[in-house]
Amino acid sequence: MSIKFKDVHKSFGSKKVLKGITMQVQKGEILFVIGTSGVGKSVTIKHIIGLLKPTSGSIEVDGEKVENLKEKQFIPIRKKVAMVFQGSSLFDSLSVLANVALPLEKHKIVPANKVHAKAMDLLTEVGMKKYASVFPAEIGDGMKKRVAIARALAMQPDYILFDEPTTGLDPVSARRVDKLILRLAKDRGTGTIVVSHDLPSIFGISDKIAMVYQGKIYFEGSREEYKRSEDPIIQQFIKGTSSGPMETPGF
Amino acid sequence: MISSFFASVGEKILNFSKIIGGIVYLFYQIILALLPPKFDLDEFWRNLYKMGVKSVPIIILTAFFTGGIMVIQASVFVKKFGATSLVGWGAGYSVFREVGPILLGLMFSGRVGSNNTAELGTMVVTEQIDGLKALAIDPFRYLIVPRVLAMIIMLFLLTIIGNVVAISGAALFGKYIAGVSYAGFWTSFSQNLYLGDLIHGLIKAAIFGFIVSLNSCYFGISVKGGAVGVGKAVNNSVVASALGIVIFDYILTYNIT
Amino acid sequence: MIKQISTNIFATIGDKTINIFVAAKTLFLVTLNTFRGVFHFKSREKGEILKQAYEIGNRSFLFVSVTLSALGMVLVFQVCLQINKITGDQSQVGPEFIKGMIHAFVPILTAMMLATRVGAGIAAEIGSMKVTEQIDALRMSGVDPIDYLIVPRFIASIFMTFILGIYAALLVILAGAFMAHHSFGVNYNVFFVFDKVTWGDLIIGSTKLLVHGSAIPVVSGYCGLTTKVGSEGVGTATTRAVINSSLAVIILDFIISAIGLMTIQ
Repeated sequence: MSIKFKDVHKSFGSKKVLKGITMQVQKGEILFVIGTSGVGKSVTIKHIIGLLKPTSGSIEVDGEKVENLKEKQFIPIRKKVAMVFQGSSLFDSLSVLANVALPLEKHKIVPANKVHAKAMDLLTEVGMKKYASVFPAEIGDGMKKRVAIARALAMQPDYILFDEPTTGLDPVSARRVDKLILRLAKDRGTGTIVVSHDLPSIFGISDKIAMVYQGKIYFEGSREEYKRSEDPIIQQFIKGTSSGPMETPGF
Repeated sequence: MISSFFASVGEKILNFSKIIGGIVYLFYQIILALLPPKFDLDEFWRNLYKMGVKSVPIIILTAFFTGGIMVIQASVFVKKFGATSLVGWGAGYSVFREVGPILLGLMFSGRVGSNNTAELGTMVVTEQIDGLKALAIDPFRYLIVPRVLAMIIMLFLLTIIGNVVAISGAALFGKYIAGVSYAGFWTSFSQNLYLGDLIHGLIKAAIFGFIVSLNSCYFGISVKGGAVGVGKAVNNSVVASALGIVIFDYILTYNIT
Repeated sequence: MIKQISTNIFATIGDKTINIFVAAKTLFLVTLNTFRGVFHFKSREKGEILKQAYEIGNRSFLFVSVTLSALGMVLVFQVCLQINKITGDQSQVGPEFIKGMIHAFVPILTAMMLATRVGAGIAAEIGSMKVTEQIDALRMSGVDPIDYLIVPRFIASIFMTFILGIYAALLVILAGAFMAHHSFGVNYNVFFVFDKVTWGDLIIGSTKLLVHGSAIPVVSGYCGLTTKVGSEGVGTATTRAVINSSLAVIILDFIISAIGLMTIQ
């Protein structure tokens, strides 16, 4: 039970972003996909649920190839693999509770009279029960993120993708989000992919790390292996120094 | 100089065809989603309510003053020829067949159409559309089809209300500006206007509703570039709807009687 | 329960009334400052007026041409159709149509089209500047946004609305004549009779064009300047600009028509 990337290439017009991504995450693992800004991390994970299609290469979810699926065929995949977006992408016109209840209702995950209770349970799990009737515009970014996580959990997914969950949050909120991600992964046994360039997160909760550099996976291995690596580019990223061999086309 | 003029004309034509192509494709997708009709009912009712409530005040205001303007135009004849018996008919005829559907359609486009484009555009920019897809909810059946249907029905209903208000306004101004009694107005109105005139206008209203909804949804979902992009999309959507209304008014007038 | 509902209703009405007063006051101030701005306008900024005039003309020319000629043809069609039913005498259509176009339909329809095209454009431009903090930057540099942004558009719009109105009138009359000839066999020389057009008609029509031309940029500029921050801010501002300018045009048109009826006609 895993998600596998096999030599995935992606170009936008003439711009080649991904030049051969190969990596995988098992159920129960937390994989961090890391790299500098603009290197293609978000682009990579969007392929899993079909928001983007690769120019070449293959992506497998639990053994099923998804790169050529049509929009309708992605529905079962999207129920298995949930995504929490960078901007949380909560629906402005719905309250916090209604946001979480939406997938429960539309996919009839629980009977109609149990939707409200189930949504409240999910909000309690992420610590947002008090804000159930509030609207997204009225809460802070960290809170929005937690609601987005609750909404993703509503689908009872086997895998969860997080796109830069701690970027833009203050250090305290960021560590709280980390803790939540870890607890959910361990309690539910989901496979988790986190796109991040936040070092405390990366070294806080990851099991495995895949580093994207120049369109390819420059490193794939355990957290300890990454820390111990003597490769100059990896060292530059860990130390966060501005001078060194690393090229940062996003800057 | 000349070559750059042709280049810019060529570019404008290409842009224009791209937009028309996009709108036609959207039209096709909507028709597909309606056979058999499968769309989100909750969203349909919510939009119907929202669009109706938002527009009623402005429609009433517009219709009232439109009725007044029609009467003032007719009054010129009244003053010259004493043709008080024409005022009811004149106001009714022009409001039902032309001025009502067009002005109300334009106001609807400005109010509901642009609001719709702004909403959809904002959703695109803040990844809410991707968010829906990620929840395995088809944005088409959930967002677009309900709005299109709601807009067609709403403009139709609002035009009926607008017609009533416009005629009432016309009667009121008829009495105080043109000196036509209410009775005289009503006689002239009811004796010379047929149901066909009303239906002519209402068919137009429904079609204008469709045009406004197509345009506003198309420009909303093809937004690029943040808050500024949303503003441009609203601009384009309103202009496209105005063009559509006028052009189809021409086609429809010729073809329905 | 009733107490709660009635409190809510009063609170909402009160809230909305306060909002309307604040908005009205701001709009009034913007209008006042725009007029004042016209009077201490520096001649070296003439270039900006010309640029805005070009923008308005360039953007709207095709749009106004298509919409006005289509509407003109439709109106003639409707009128001829009715006349056919009643008297069958089409000779009156031309002169009455021309008269009606000049003092009534062309000013309001041109203005409505421009409210859509130009109004939305002005609100989108100024609104975008507001959300990207460029308006604040202007104030920091000691420049008054109204003088710099709205006044040139104001002057340009008055001129261009007038000119486009005249152009539209000519176009509409030609298009109407074409339609009358093509569908009802009315001779061109029977249609193009200008006897019924009075000075009163010309004055009313021109006044309407000038007034509408001044209202659109002021209302749209106001909507642009009061854009709220956020990704939906500019979209909302553009929406408001189109509605409010259109409404302003309709109400002003009504007022001028009424005054015209009671005085000149």
